[in-house]
Amino acid sequence: MAEVFFYALSAFAVLFALGVILAKSPMMSVLSLLGTFFCLSVVYLLAGFQFMAAAQILVYAGAILVLFLFVIMLLNLGDISARAEGAAVFLHSTAAKIGAAIAIAIGLALLIATTAGALNLSAVQEVPEGIDGFSGLAAELFGRYSLPFEAMSVLLLATMVAVLVLAKRQRRGRAGSQV
Amino acid sequence: MQVPTEHLLFLAAALFAIGVLGFLIRRNVIVVLMCIELMLNAANLTFLAASRQHSTPDHVNLVGPVFAIFVIAVAAAEAAVGLALIIALFRLRQTTDADSVQEMEG
Repeated sequence: MAEVFFYALSAFAVLFALGVILAKSPMMSVLSLLGTFFCLSVVYLLAGFQFMAAAQILVYAGAILVLFLFVIMLLNLGDISARAEGAAVFLHSTAAKIGAAIAIAIGLALLIATTAGALNLSAVQEVPEGIDGFSGLAAELFGRYSLPFEAMSVLLLATMVAVLVLAKRQRRGRAGSQV
Repeated sequence: MQVPTEHLLFLAAALFAIGVLGFLIRRNVIVVLMCIELMLNAANLTFLAASRQHSTPDHVNLVGPVFAIFVIAVAAAEAAVGLALIIALFRLRQTTDADSVQEMEG
């Protein structure tokens, strides 16, 4: 049952991801991305990662995508970009060919690695109570990985300062920078 | 769930490839940022698939989830800075089209 669910969710995740890159308006792209993130969250849950599923919803769907939606609504981009680029035009560009080549290369490499047995993976052993329990994860984050954890908090602080500097309206800037 | 790790990796590869494709073909910088988020999610899925592969009921492997948390934090920081840059660009040019900003002749 869970297996059928996984394959259905995978198909939906890929379809939503295609929707992100093929949608004409950025608003539809954000909503498709939301679908991909929800599907991935349930995949994490099925794979035994309860905390990561919750973090996926809270951080990605709850914070990052709301930020995207906020910027799109603030800039009122809906019709501008729909006029600027259509699906038919950008699919025939050189960049599309390079991108398709990279996509095919990634798929082929993984396919060859799996069929040739290079990965040589043993059968997965189920962990019924879930892999990322809070106590184990906290012990790792604040024990063995405490230095990267602190570096992460410094990074977030630096990001906050950088965003404040970037988004601040410049009062005595050049003439072109006035809104 | 009895799905082999390879199938999780296939899903991650498909999402990453779609992200690369979108990154290259789209000219709207906001959609380009979304494609980066898609690629980071594919990387997260790979981390978690590896962690699941190496977990047994006796000993769970937590390296994957820990690094996935770091990736999520970096993704949040990247989205915030990227969107601030887009707002600054929009103030300057009234557009988010990547092809209209060519001072560096890239």
